[in-house]
Amino acid sequence: MAFKRNPQVFPARIAETTIGTGDNALTLGGESVFPLYSFDAPIGNPPVVGVEFSDKGPRRDVAGIAAFYEGADSLTDIARRACEMPGASFVCLNLESADPNGDDMPVEDAVKLAAEVAEAVTKPLVIQGTGNADKDGNLLGKVAEALQGKNVLLLSATEDNYKGIAVGAVLAYQQKIGAESAVDINLAKQLNVIIAQMGVTNDNVVMNVGQAAAGYGFEYVASAMERIKGAALSQNDDSLQIPIITPVSEEAWSIKESIVSEADFPEWGPAEQRGVDMEITTAVACLASGSNAVILRHPDSVKTVSDFIGSLM
Amino acid sequence: MKKLFDRVFDGADEMVALAEKTLADTLAELGADAPVEMPNTAYFLAIHSAYLGKNVTTLGQLDECFKTVKEWNGRTPNTSTVFKTGFATFMAAEVIEACKYAKDPNPYKDEYHGHLSDAEVRELGVPLVTDDIPGFVVIYGSAPTDQEAVDLIKGYQTRGIFVFLIGDVIEQARRLNMNMGFPVRVVAVGPDIWCVAHVISFVYRAAMIFGAVKPGDRWEFDDYTFYRIHACVNVFAPVEDIVVACGAGAIAMGFPVITNDENDMWRVPKTILIQQDTADFIETSLEARDIKIKVTNIDIPVAFSSAFEGEIVRRKETQVDCDGARFDCFELVRMKDAHEIEDHKIELIGKDFDEFEAGAEFAIGFLAEVSGKNMQPDFEPVFERNFHNFLNCIEGVMHTGQRDILRLRVSKAAYDAGFRAKHVGEVLYAKIKSEYEAVVDKCQVTIITDPDLCHELSEVAKATYNERDERLGSMTDESVDVFYSCILCQSFSPAHVCVVTPERLGLCGAVSWLDAKATNQLDQNGPCQVVTKKRVVDENVGIWEDVNEIVFKSSHGNLEQVTLYSIMQDPMTSCGCFECICGIEPFSSGVVIVNREHMGMTPLGMSFPEMASMTGGGVQTPGFMGHGKQFISSRKFMRAEGGPGRIVWMPKALKDLVGGKLDRTAKDLYDIDGFTSMIADETITEDPEELMEFLAEKGHPVLTFEPLI
Repeated sequence: MAFKRNPQVFPARIAETTIGTGDNALTLGGESVFPLYSFDAPIGNPPVVGVEFSDKGPRRDVAGIAAFYEGADSLTDIARRACEMPGASFVCLNLESADPNGDDMPVEDAVKLAAEVAEAVTKPLVIQGTGNADKDGNLLGKVAEALQGKNVLLLSATEDNYKGIAVGAVLAYQQKIGAESAVDINLAKQLNVIIAQMGVTNDNVVMNVGQAAAGYGFEYVASAMERIKGAALSQNDDSLQIPIITPVSEEAWSIKESIVSEADFPEWGPAEQRGVDMEITTAVACLASGSNAVILRHPDSVKTVSDFIGSLM
Repeated sequence: MKKLFDRVFDGADEMVALAEKTLADTLAELGADAPVEMPNTAYFLAIHSAYLGKNVTTLGQLDECFKTVKEWNGRTPNTSTVFKTGFATFMAAEVIEACKYAKDPNPYKDEYHGHLSDAEVRELGVPLVTDDIPGFVVIYGSAPTDQEAVDLIKGYQTRGIFVFLIGDVIEQARRLNMNMGFPVRVVAVGPDIWCVAHVISFVYRAAMIFGAVKPGDRWEFDDYTFYRIHACVNVFAPVEDIVVACGAGAIAMGFPVITNDENDMWRVPKTILIQQDTADFIETSLEARDIKIKVTNIDIPVAFSSAFEGEIVRRKETQVDCDGARFDCFELVRMKDAHEIEDHKIELIGKDFDEFEAGAEFAIGFLAEVSGKNMQPDFEPVFERNFHNFLNCIEGVMHTGQRDILRLRVSKAAYDAGFRAKHVGEVLYAKIKSEYEAVVDKCQVTIITDPDLCHELSEVAKATYNERDERLGSMTDESVDVFYSCILCQSFSPAHVCVVTPERLGLCGAVSWLDAKATNQLDQNGPCQVVTKKRVVDENVGIWEDVNEIVFKSSHGNLEQVTLYSIMQDPMTSCGCFECICGIEPFSSGVVIVNREHMGMTPLGMSFPEMASMTGGGVQTPGFMGHGKQFISSRKFMRAEGGPGRIVWMPKALKDLVGGKLDRTAKDLYDIDGFTSMIADETITEDPEELMEFLAEKGHPVLTFEPLI
């Protein structure tokens, strides 16, 4: 019997969220099919890869990363170089120094850094806060103000600080925000609903529904994303029809497999290759589960994952 | 007494006439092409923009718009005309101020603030929209004394409310050297009543920025200001007609006016309120506009954190020991009317901790009285049960038990740090206000150590407990209009959803219908949602279309139908945290129930964990069902199959726990005395054949029932 194609196209659609401006604008989401199911119907905006760097500079202890950023010393040079990374569609500044449990850089100084980077970049900009609810509530609002007109994506608003970020960043200064929840479809939905109640529409939001490195509880992340996309498409749940962004690098580069030295574990091979492998494996699994964008660090991973997406579209 | 409407119309005429003259003079001086703009705004003349949808940039255009101002300034004595006249008054005020700025871009120099820039609108707007600033007040006129003016302003300031001052009150504050300015949230807007235009301009720009309201969409603006902007107006006597006209505009926007002027002033509930004493302005204003003040810190001399929850205070380190088993202790929450409660009043009746000897044992009572527009008496026990969690978080304080069997111990260390009876009140106040802010507007707490009063009130408390228990006990599924869904467990059991009814509590045993109701009211987007029960399919088996729709949605499409009262047909699913499982015992056509604590075997040849593996994870397994202990004695327990008369075996401990109620239910349903004694347990048999013999010997009703399979 001949194979009968039976495309699964849903009468529902993930919202489109655009970051960046003019020719550099980038749109996430917009699909009506399951993740990467481009054989069922064209995916208008294929998933994308972003490159992350810290305000403290790239991880120069990793040879491949050091080589890529060679000669780029100031933060603005680093940002410009990141924009040139093959396969990268956007860049992500991690305001690591502002973390109150670390250097605790004052908000004004962190905002200044963000503004410098925003001037330098030639790709859409994502800015990652500290993960501390109080600090981010203040910091991201101020960044939104300083970067008026740049249409940046601010990560992330959580249940504890969404009000100030949603109102301060989206309504007051027309930026985009991430809604971050902890690996649970209902928590993700609830956060989206209360953000919407502040008057913020879906096309101003992306979701970060949680992250984990492959092998480190990743099945929960995969399951949460799968169920979110399922509910968004098959049940037409508009409070979940929001593109998903997943920061992969931070988790992938902080697990044992990526950090123990080759001297200690000779049978595991070179440490750098392991980190790249973890980053790629996790990122690809995220894309298969529903991420519309992943954030990576190493040039090899960025290129590989970007090529992977290209070969499937 | 002059009619209120006439005061508005006369006042508006005054403002419009002044605006007309100012505009004519300015036109004569600068010409029609002269630009009109407020500094640092992208919203033109925001009041004109909001009402008319027109972007005024020249004096000529302003003059053109003035026709509409005159048109709106009506005389017909009905509410809509009065409101429109109020808006005309605001536009006229904006005309006067705009002319001032047309002549000089900085007319107020450093003396007054005048126009607010867009940046200031955003800076103030964000915390207003997020409720970090609970609201703002506009104060106009001259307070009876300078001190009263400053006390009022400071009263608002300490509550986090933003204050706009217009008129003489500014001079009064200055005379007492009050610190003013945007950063301290007190702004001296300007000397004359028409300066109110700057505040109204701020409000409409906030609506355009944060509410995306389109210029010219007047109804949307009204809606936005009414629902989203928490503002009120305080005006000191004497109130002139022109001020009354502005008041009409403010009221149309949803902002109540509070004044101490009794001459020619009309009281309108929740809208125009008269308070002779300016000291009462704040409470009245907040209540009239439903402004709630958030509690951000708890003022006690020791730490407060969940880290101290499990802390034990031993006898030898105890300073204060109050034991409900030996003294008349109680804890009670009671709902009152708003006017009966003074928010944040903490009162101690009796001796304080430092008036007792170290290690003293005595009676203590906590009485928390709350009010709120959305408060319901059903929430009282929900708050009350959390006293335990609240008080245990205090460093050096141990709380056990509840109601009249509570026990409170305060350690010597906490006492030495200065912890006294009123601090218990501070904690209860702060936690009730912050945890239940959705329903509690005001709260006062009384701590009682006076033994006679403790005795008296503990009797009242006990009567209240009994009343509540009876109410909960007498509630039936038929007596309520709605059930509640609960998806608290979905993080680990993604397909499961509980339908909680008065007679069927959540299978975890922790969520009763009242709990679910409170959870829903306190967090309307939370885990418990309202389930209507309008479209009944089969009331006996417990099937409603509405229930099925919610179950389908909340299980994300995994379940299509559940019955509430059957274990054979589409039984309700389980997450995994059920207190008990019941399963069919095929020989007798009865059911065996086993609770989580029971370690042994059952006549089914399966232990609790083995039965649990049949039912958990949100799957429907006809013949097996997870449920709460209290459901066993419910008349709805497997009603479709004949009710609790099907129960043939339960562990002894469970029989002891539910036996009393189960006997009463069986008496009602089957007219059988001592039904529980007909049920076998592990001390009688775990063998199915012996079980049958036992049932036959006892004449168990199940033997007369239809077979289950």
